[in-house]
Amino acid sequence: MQGVFDDACFQRYRGLVTFPCRHLQTHAIFVPNSSHAVTISPGTKEKARRAAALTLRQISRQDQGGNVEISSTIPIGRGMGSSTADVLATIQAILDRFDVAWSMEEIMHVAVEAETACDSTLFSQVAVLFAQRGGIVLEAFDRALPKIDIISVDCEPSATVSTLDFEPALYNEFEVEAFKPLRSLLRRAVRQGDAGLVGKVATASARINQRFLAKPRLDELEKIAAASGAIGLQVAHSGTLVGMMFDHLSPNRDVSIERAAAALEQAKFSFTTFAA
Amino acid sequence: MTNLQTRYLAEFEMPRVVPLGPNLYAAAFFLMKLLPARYILERALERGDICEGTHICETSSGTFALALAMITARMENRLTIVSDWALEPTLKRRLVELGAEVEIVTQAHPHGGLQKARLDRLNEILAQSPSHFWPRQYDNPDNPRAYGSVAAKLVDRIGQIDCLVGTVGSGGSLCGTASYLRLLFPDMVVIGVDTINSVLFGQPDAPRLVRGLGGSVIPSNVDHTLIDEVHWLSAAEIFQATRQLHSQTGLFMGPTSAAAHKVASWWAAHNDDKTVVILMPDEGHRYADSAYDDDWLNSKVPRWRSVCSDRPVTITNPHADLAQWTRLEWGRRPRSDVIAQSL
Repeated sequence: MQGVFDDACFQRYRGLVTFPCRHLQTHAIFVPNSSHAVTISPGTKEKARRAAALTLRQISRQDQGGNVEISSTIPIGRGMGSSTADVLATIQAILDRFDVAWSMEEIMHVAVEAETACDSTLFSQVAVLFAQRGGIVLEAFDRALPKIDIISVDCEPSATVSTLDFEPALYNEFEVEAFKPLRSLLRRAVRQGDAGLVGKVATASARINQRFLAKPRLDELEKIAAASGAIGLQVAHSGTLVGMMFDHLSPNRDVSIERAAAALEQAKFSFTTFAA
Repeated sequence: MTNLQTRYLAEFEMPRVVPLGPNLYAAAFFLMKLLPARYILERALERGDICEGTHICETSSGTFALALAMITARMENRLTIVSDWALEPTLKRRLVELGAEVEIVTQAHPHGGLQKARLDRLNEILAQSPSHFWPRQYDNPDNPRAYGSVAAKLVDRIGQIDCLVGTVGSGGSLCGTASYLRLLFPDMVVIGVDTINSVLFGQPDAPRLVRGLGGSVIPSNVDHTLIDEVHWLSAAEIFQATRQLHSQTGLFMGPTSAAAHKVASWWAAHNDDKTVVILMPDEGHRYADSAYDDDWLNSKVPRWRSVCSDRPVTITNPHADLAQWTRLEWGRRPRSDVIAQSL
């Protein structure tokens, strides 16, 4: 779910709830050296380099040079939070190296500064509604999201979207109000562990956001989802991926996933399956 | 103007959620119109349509006037309410005490009746005030838009909703709530409850006794394409239902709430695997001397006690002459399509 949400004082923020995918990981190691500059390998990860410099300054070691080595299995530019993972792993690697402990808030503060907008990747115990541009938690839900299997479909395999280039959505007044029931239903879904309701919220959010970062062939995917017994669709807020969602605990799960995969194959979509 | 000044009655805006049966819930409001009134005024303040010295004017003889007066009681702005003889003395006293100026139109317009005469008077007042704001609950899209928070409370408390039932007057509450809930539940059934002789869903226009639902003109806030099913009830059926709702459930609500409840109970009993929510717009206090007064009822609707209707008759032509509870499968069609297809 992604939209605009009020905090307890009616202050409005852009916020999102992201879906955790434990199979995709990023590792970072910080190796200090005698230089005064931080380098990153691979060298293209500019946001991670910025995060490294900011972290060193925060812990008063701005003259410390070194190299951060990042290895990641997260696809880049697909809206799967690859750069947030790079940034968070980098910050943590430096903190580990110097044996410094930060609160989640301190880590998020540096991550947002390095990235402009970042995901709620750090919060894994409970689902959170996260203001990605302020780096604050608007609402922590009672539990983690219920277990959901995903078929990840790439709608536009040739394109990538950078978080920094992406123009934030300008929601109209109806859409602003519509996020209130979406948020409420998600709260209930998490409280009750109801994957089906999570799917309805994700689908509604996908439809609202279609006006801003249109996913080609979303209608087609909705039909396949409905026909195969998927519980909904979730979209990458900045990226080209659409996730077809399946209730991990449903007895029909395997049949549904097989049916959806066959239909996607036939419609010539490229996709990957991730079990919860 | 801060949120504090417009939102201090926020606790009164939201409905109580009352489970009436295994698959039937009431969303019982204290005074539902507080919500659209507050939302409309807040948006107008945000857009600069209301500033210091702006004269707020509306035509209403019912709860929307009261809601406006309650919220503007703490604002410096003038509020004028244009009404007619149907404005009950108790309500008029409250409006005046809340600082509203009440204009009573006595002379009906030769063609457009009292409704037109009130509009004419309203336009005169607006013309005299250089800075004015007319909330226009019947046409202002902020009216239906206000109901996002109601949809939010309903799904938080109930979860999946399969059917929403409400009376239709301005169209704000039913169409507004339905449009938000449909984002989450595209298959949700929406049932509009109207009264016989109301043009909203194609009945011929004629005098009606029950206020708060139906009408002689079609508000643009009624989105007919959201509606799956329309039910019409007679005045006798609505007043009897009002008293039954009170005596059988303890809910002391106005006649429109009871009308919606009557239709919803029937639908819920025939669809026991579906979760049904009823919008109940206001409490019964305003109707102590009418719907809740046997003498008043006996004089106005002698048959109110004896009328016996436990199921609707189904028709396909909305223009038919009706005397009792009737339903039509509207099928999310525009009004013009339904009229054309029934000719």
